[in-house]
Amino acid sequence: MEAPPREAGQPVLSLTAISKAYRNGRARVVLRDISLTLTSGEYVAVMGESGVGKSTLLNLIAGLDRADGGRIVFAGQDLAELDDDAMTALRRSAMGFVFQAFHVLPHLSVEQNVALPLLLNGVGRAESAARVAAMLAAVGLAGFGASRPSELSGGELQRVAIARALIHHPPLVLADEPTGNLDPETAAQVLRLLRDRIKAVGAAGILVTHSALAAATADRTLLLTSKGLAPHAPASPIGV
Amino acid sequence: MKHYFTLLSGLAIFAALAAQALRASPPTYPPVEPGRSLHFPRDHGAHPDYRTEWWYVTGWLHTDSGAPLGFQLTFFRSRPPLDEANPSRFAPKQLLFAHVALSDPATGHLQYDQRGARIGFGLADAITADTAVSIDGWLLRRGVDGTYFATLAAQGFALELALQPTQASLLQGENGYSRKGPRPEQASFYYSLPQLTVSGTVTRRGKPERVNGTAWLDHEWASAPLAVEATGWDWVGLNLDDGGALMALRIRGKDGGTYWAGGSWRAADGSTHPLPPDSIAFHPLRHWRSPHTGTDYPVAMRVQAGGLHLDLAPLMDDQELDSRATTGAVYWEGAVTAHSAGRTIGRGYLELTGYAGRLVY
Amino acid sequence: MSGLRRAAAELLLGELRAHPWPALVGVLAIAIGVAMGYAVQLINQAALAEFSRTVNSLMGNADIEIRGPRTGFAESLYPRIARLSDVVVASPVVEAEAWVPQHKQALKLVGIDVFQAAQVTPGLIGRPSSPRLANLDLLGTDTVFLSPTALASLDLKPGDALTVQVGLRPVTLRIAGALPALGEGLHLGVMDIGAAQWRLDRLGHLQRIDVRLRPGVDAAAFAETLNAQLPAGVIASTPQDTRQGTASLSRAYRVNLNVLALVALFTGAFLVFSSQALSVLRRRSQLALLRALGVTRSGLLRLVLTEGALFGALGALLGLALGYVLAALVLRYAGGDLGGGYFDGVRPTVHFDAESALLFFALGLSAAVLGSAAPAGEAARAQPARALKAGDEEAALAKLRPPWSGLVVVAIGMALTQAGPVSGLPVFGYLAIALLLVGAIMLMPWLAHSVFSRLPASQRAVFHLAYARLAGAPGRAAIGLAGILASFSLMAAMVIMVASFRQSVDDWLQAILPAQLYLRASPGGDAGYFSEAAQRIIASTPGVARAEFSRVSQVLLDARRPPVTLIARQIDARQPGRRLPLVGAALTLVPGDPPAVWVSEAMVDLYGFRTGRLIALPLAGRSVTFVVAGVWRDYARQYGTVALSRDDYRALTGDTHVSDAALWLAPGAGPAQIAERLRHRLAGGDNVQYVQPGEIHVASMKIFDRSFAITYLLETVAVLVGVFGIGASFSAQALARSREFGVLRHLGVTRRQIGAMLALEGALLALLGVTAGLGLGWCIALILIQVVNPQSFHWTMSVHMPWLLLVQLAAALVVAAALTALASGRRAMSAGAVHAVREDW
Repeated sequence: MEAPPREAGQPVLSLTAISKAYRNGRARVVLRDISLTLTSGEYVAVMGESGVGKSTLLNLIAGLDRADGGRIVFAGQDLAELDDDAMTALRRSAMGFVFQAFHVLPHLSVEQNVALPLLLNGVGRAESAARVAAMLAAVGLAGFGASRPSELSGGELQRVAIARALIHHPPLVLADEPTGNLDPETAAQVLRLLRDRIKAVGAAGILVTHSALAAATADRTLLLTSKGLAPHAPASPIGV
Repeated sequence: MKHYFTLLSGLAIFAALAAQALRASPPTYPPVEPGRSLHFPRDHGAHPDYRTEWWYVTGWLHTDSGAPLGFQLTFFRSRPPLDEANPSRFAPKQLLFAHVALSDPATGHLQYDQRGARIGFGLADAITADTAVSIDGWLLRRGVDGTYFATLAAQGFALELALQPTQASLLQGENGYSRKGPRPEQASFYYSLPQLTVSGTVTRRGKPERVNGTAWLDHEWASAPLAVEATGWDWVGLNLDDGGALMALRIRGKDGGTYWAGGSWRAADGSTHPLPPDSIAFHPLRHWRSPHTGTDYPVAMRVQAGGLHLDLAPLMDDQELDSRATTGAVYWEGAVTAHSAGRTIGRGYLELTGYAGRLVY
Repeated sequence: MSGLRRAAAELLLGELRAHPWPALVGVLAIAIGVAMGYAVQLINQAALAEFSRTVNSLMGNADIEIRGPRTGFAESLYPRIARLSDVVVASPVVEAEAWVPQHKQALKLVGIDVFQAAQVTPGLIGRPSSPRLANLDLLGTDTVFLSPTALASLDLKPGDALTVQVGLRPVTLRIAGALPALGEGLHLGVMDIGAAQWRLDRLGHLQRIDVRLRPGVDAAAFAETLNAQLPAGVIASTPQDTRQGTASLSRAYRVNLNVLALVALFTGAFLVFSSQALSVLRRRSQLALLRALGVTRSGLLRLVLTEGALFGALGALLGLALGYVLAALVLRYAGGDLGGGYFDGVRPTVHFDAESALLFFALGLSAAVLGSAAPAGEAARAQPARALKAGDEEAALAKLRPPWSGLVVVAIGMALTQAGPVSGLPVFGYLAIALLLVGAIMLMPWLAHSVFSRLPASQRAVFHLAYARLAGAPGRAAIGLAGILASFSLMAAMVIMVASFRQSVDDWLQAILPAQLYLRASPGGDAGYFSEAAQRIIASTPGVARAEFSRVSQVLLDARRPPVTLIARQIDARQPGRRLPLVGAALTLVPGDPPAVWVSEAMVDLYGFRTGRLIALPLAGRSVTFVVAGVWRDYARQYGTVALSRDDYRALTGDTHVSDAALWLAPGAGPAQIAERLRHRLAGGDNVQYVQPGEIHVASMKIFDRSFAITYLLETVAVLVGVFGIGASFSAQALARSREFGVLRHLGVTRRQIGAMLALEGALLALLGVTAGLGLGWCIALILIQVVNPQSFHWTMSVHMPWLLLVQLAAALVVAAALTALASGRRAMSAGAVHAVREDW
């Protein structure tokens, strides 16, 4: 069962003048004056060198970390006003995650992994089963539901992760270097799938990556530097 | 006399002291008084009522090769001042001790062994009818013909001897009443058998050898201990080459002088002459220090006894006997030869006591 | 290579710094195991050494010892022995154990003939304190020489009077000196043999003859020849026999304690295993890095093993020190018998023993190395390339083996319970327990999977996650599970065994104490007795409806075994069960049967005295034929008891003395009142011990609890180790699961939910563990009750399940596990864990 696409163009996420510094011996500022607005249906890639704070940015957006300055508004709510439980609830219902190392829970089957967000959001067993089956078919894993993660290849695992990130129709999907552990061909397939699925549900998506090839699958690319977040023009855009 | 105190020093006590220590019924000892005549063979046997008694044999032996040996064997009997009401068969009412020693110049030191036991169970006994004393197989017994048999298997050597009398008993003192001090109760019953002819076997290092020789036997019993004034005594018993015999003793006082003395001389013709105290004198000629106990003993003596003037020379110096395991005394008991005017005139034994410290009561 | 080694060492040290607790708990457990084992060993060695020193002083340089029943043998044997041609010295000895009323303790009094003893047991010859009375005191009729220990414990000095109880009379002796040659540790007095026979009522009898043989005579052969000629019940034996008997006296008890120590070591090994397994898991990428950097497979194996050995060495050293201190303290404050009552009157001190120290060090070390072996192998086998990637942890433990090997081990264990003892020790029983334990642990992954995968699916996220986790990762679950299983099953087994024993003793006491008042001629020793006159007075005292008397003594049936207790008492041959707690059916006697005896279970085991058999017992120097008419339970005496009718005993021995009386009171008469009446009526009635069954009951249970005190202590230690183990295993797991928690947090699982999930996992795991542990514990308890106890101590008991206590313990363990799991998750749920899902930042 495919959920109806959201109405495009609605603001989903806005970051205003965010800064974040870690104090580790001498102070080291990680993020400075970051601003970003994301509307539903928009898929943005964030590039940057290692250590420039890409993951920190994702953590701030996910509410797993608090910004030192600036404001983050997600789904109309200022994240600074939410306590940990409220933030967790928000993350549970309104966000999806895809990680570089897949992080498919090894002791759960493929369908259990995918169904996890539904379970956490209180979706009934029958509806959950139907949606999981549809989603697995959509990511090309029909028939893999009962498999154990240990039986799957890397590309298949990342498909499971994508399914898990989108099964509960979150308005925002955060993907952190999702193809870092995959070979180029598989990576290309996974990136296409990710983009397709995000677009299919009309969610907003942020793809953090090193790879210009990967970034090229997004609608636009931003470059994260120590000075801030700025639009990035790909040197040689190759359509994928 | 002699060994009297050796025994007492170990086990006996003044009656008064004993009575103090014991609440129950200590024995009463019959006193030794003059006028009692000795009857044989009864008086060869034990006198268990008296406090103490011994049979003491000393003598010279020679092997077939002619090598001289001295020997000493003694059985002591004691009736300790203990409660005699004890019905136990183990009650120590009568104790027996035995010492046996061999003086072998080839060895250079005295070989000796000792035993002690309470009379009972037939394992240790001293009968009253005639001489028959034994401790665990050590035995001295008088046969019907008067011959004594001695069997003692000691550590390192064994004696198996027959001792045949050649003379009548020599009753010491007044018919066997022998005084040991100025007071009349300081006395014992005492007779000797000098000039015993010895034949038998001496076993050394497992090798038996035939021996012959001459010996002297003392049998003495008494109830009174050594006088408090005395520290020890010197005693000598000699079988003289002419067939005579001499016994002389002196009890030394605390000042080293003579507290009491006495003796008897049997002449070659058989006549017996008691020697009064003032006719006896002992003069040390040479001292020997024991490497075992550090005691100095006058092992060579000039003895004056009545008309006899003798120089005593030991068979060997080391004839010290340490009996602290049984009767308790450390003394010198050695074979000696007697010389007079440069001539050997007899052989016998010299006993020196109280030199290792005053005998303790 | 040395640079690599340094790098490796630094890696390991870093790991230790980061997670010191699991390792520390493993080290501590090893230390506890080593400490317990070493302390038990030291204490026993000290007690045994002291005891054999005692035997040595008492036997001196005797080649042969001739012993008889406690009441002694006729003294006429002495001259017979002394006259034997091979005998150099025969030293007769009278012995009595006399009560010292003033000091409320028993004193062993030995009567010797100084002249004979001087050559065999010179140490027993007193040193008179008064030089004037000198040696005569050695022969005194009222003098006694006391060992330094006896002087100290009685607080007396030479010259003082010592009053002991003989019959019901006081006998006063004068302390004439000491026995300095005996040194410390021996509690006894020496008298002249004649005096001892007289004063201690032993006229005509000897307890012992020490014999020295002619050099070159073979003592064992001589003893054998002599035994054919000795009166019945009198046995000649060599000192080796006696010493062997002494050592075997406490051996079963000692071995039991050592097994408990080994259990602690086993727990230690297990803890090292769990901490190492998880630390290897946690350091997979580090170890893989080392491999990638050029450390060989075997190098890695050595590395992890070295780490384990380091823990083992640390623990073992700590344990040795701890054990030494423990032994010193126990010896100082509790004496050497470890609550077992084997070394009464012996006050040993501890001595460092290098040999057993080495042994226990080696045991501790091997436990730790063994515990590290599997994780080390795992680390060495891992593919470095895969291990370097994240998300591979579970693979290490994913293999689920079929249960066959575990089942086979369990089956072998079960089969071993049928085997008999090995030289008096339940070796196979212990082995069976070990195999059951090992087998059960091997079965745990399979059990965890089969049980948890059958849990109903839940729509509640916490339950769903916990169930899935438990069912999906049985290897990990099994580690925690095995810890709970091992500690709870052993705890349950001990609890069941002790409860069964305690209840059985309780029942037994009810059965053997039917009267209302019990009299004992003296509270201790064997010199007190009631004469016939005293018996008549007791029986005719107003208020006494019925009086039954009994004579307790000992007979010797085998030189290599401790003496057998002989109880002559009133027994109705038609209804022996009214006086004896019979096990099984009693024989119905018919006219013409020989006189009957009823024997304790130990007699069946040790001497084969089965019901219906005709047996010979030495009584008064004669061999008398009896028929075994029944078997009864005797928890008071391990080495065998024979009960016979007092009429038969009196007729056969002429012994009219009795040591105990049981009184049934007339209606309206109170025990206290009757005791008071007897105190006045009996001459020496003040010396008699009057006790009511209730007091005996309380005192006996107190003794029971005291003798199990050390067991309780060890049990507590085992439980603590178990709980620590669970804690260590959970926290290590929680650390290893930080990525999982991170993912869950991303997916919107709250901290509380993760906590609840962990607690639930812990509780479910513990629940399964205690359930399996209870079953296993029950099996082990059955082995303890039906194999180990009968083979070690020769008594049986009925099984009693202390359900309430077991349920409480189980509940406590489940709660503890849940809380431990929860606590261990706290760190894992911190912000750092969230970041663990990111590969870089």
